[in-house]
Amino acid sequence: MSAFFEQMRLLIQGWAGAGYLPEALAYGFVVNALFAGLLIGPVLGGLGTLVVVKRFAFFSEAVGHAALTGVAIGILLGEPYTGPYGSLFGYCLLFGLLLNYLRNRTGLSPDTLIGVFLSVSLAVGASLLLVLAGRINIHILENVLFGSVLTVNAQDLAVLTLVSLLVVALTIPMYNRFMLASFNPQLASVRGVLVKPLDYLFVMLVALVTVAAVKVIGAILVGALLVIPAAAARLLSQSLKGFFWLSVLIATFCTLIGIFLPIALELPVPSGASIIIMAGIVFAVAAIARSLLPSLKGSLG
Amino acid sequence: MSAIETLRVATVAGPSIDFADVNLELGRTRILERISFQVRAGSVHALVGPNGGGKSSLIKTLLGQMPHCGELSLDWPDAPGVIGYVPQALEFDRSLPMTVDDFMAAMCQMRPAFLGLSRRHAPAIEEALARVGMLDKRKRRMGALSGGERQRVLLAQGLVPAAQLLILDEPMAALDEPGMQVFEKLLVDWRQSGMTVLWVEHDLQAVGRLADRVTGLNRRVLFDDTPQVALKPDRLLQLFASHPPAGGEGGV
Repeated sequence: MSAFFEQMRLLIQGWAGAGYLPEALAYGFVVNALFAGLLIGPVLGGLGTLVVVKRFAFFSEAVGHAALTGVAIGILLGEPYTGPYGSLFGYCLLFGLLLNYLRNRTGLSPDTLIGVFLSVSLAVGASLLLVLAGRINIHILENVLFGSVLTVNAQDLAVLTLVSLLVVALTIPMYNRFMLASFNPQLASVRGVLVKPLDYLFVMLVALVTVAAVKVIGAILVGALLVIPAAAARLLSQSLKGFFWLSVLIATFCTLIGIFLPIALELPVPSGASIIIMAGIVFAVAAIARSLLPSLKGSLG
Repeated sequence: MSAIETLRVATVAGPSIDFADVNLELGRTRILERISFQVRAGSVHALVGPNGGGKSSLIKTLLGQMPHCGELSLDWPDAPGVIGYVPQALEFDRSLPMTVDDFMAAMCQMRPAFLGLSRRHAPAIEEALARVGMLDKRKRRMGALSGGERQRVLLAQGLVPAAQLLILDEPMAALDEPGMQVFEKLLVDWRQSGMTVLWVEHDLQAVGRLADRVTGLNRRVLFDDTPQVALKPDRLLQLFASHPPAGGEGGV
């Protein structure tokens, strides 16, 4: 796997050196960064359509924010500052699963429960970070929270590839079932869909991509890339086909441009922030296009 | 189209359903009490009763989603077949970019709906949409349909895959006049084909016209008979009275 990326990287660096590609691509870390974006962008865009259909947007944001606490716990437990993957994944997963469990048990609406969970989690995270502040340079955490795509190495690429493949392999065959379960749980179970286990699976998938995207976008903003491209695509499309592929396209485009632009223009902006700003611009354009072009509104008017 | 429809009325062998002393309690509320009646194989069996009388709970129980006690058995003539279900409504965002075709694909096939209809299911889906008269609107968005049209699409999904037992939860509630004609035609076809249909309905006139048998349910079974006998004013008064009678005279 890493041999493949190595070959591709050398090829692109070669072309950039020969003047066929932009100059910035002559640097290995830039090429690695773009690979990372190419791996996670489409996955976030595709999974995002389900997040929007299932009305899980607030939930995905919350899982991302929970990452703050996960990072603090990881570092307290002695994981490396640059990638406390274990605690991050463990905490996000626990957060999501517990939330889902309580939603089933208490019958409270998801947004109420998320409100409770998110604030408690942030309170714990903030306390832990203050404890940490005495021990380490707290600025190191910025990389984890807002992305530091230029430090992506072969191991990160391997993790990204694995997670992307896993999420695609689980989501594609289950896509219709995920949707059906949110339309009408009873109808779904008559049709043989295991509604509750699927909910848990979805929570796990969101936690998984959140953790995988930490290097590229940063924990705090991952949720945004699950939501914004899908929201923009929804404004512009009239069918599921358009909705899905447009969301994938927008997410990939924003990720790549968001990574490349700060490097090319030498702006000191973290990759996560620039990716989400790009997505925000695309969303604004989509919203304006929808209000200007009547055909985009469809027959709903 | 009528040629197709005649062809479609192939014989199927629906199951019979036997409720024997079924009780359902949720928390401290008793929802169903000593429910005993039979749905004959291949019949159109209507379930009527006031709101909150337990009709939907009975359906959930039948679908295995309620912790009931008592005995509930489906007797399939051959191997267990397909159960179709037509719910009252769907929970979805009206502005979702999902066409009728997308919806049918999401319901009926494994292949992700955003890749289009699968070759295997496309003919059945097309036929189902034709039978409910929605074929010309298959590219419309679900959210842009009228309530009656959406209900017809829900009926269409109940047709794919072809079921031996069909459970209908107030399918006529949102239907417009042409939709009702479509539905009545479907019911006639189903009865001819030998499918078992369990049908929750508010419209007593339609039940009187179209059902083979009707069960009145208000926590208990208050009557279970042919529509001609069951739908008499005194029976209906008793059924829709706000306080069900205290004495338990389950069945007739």
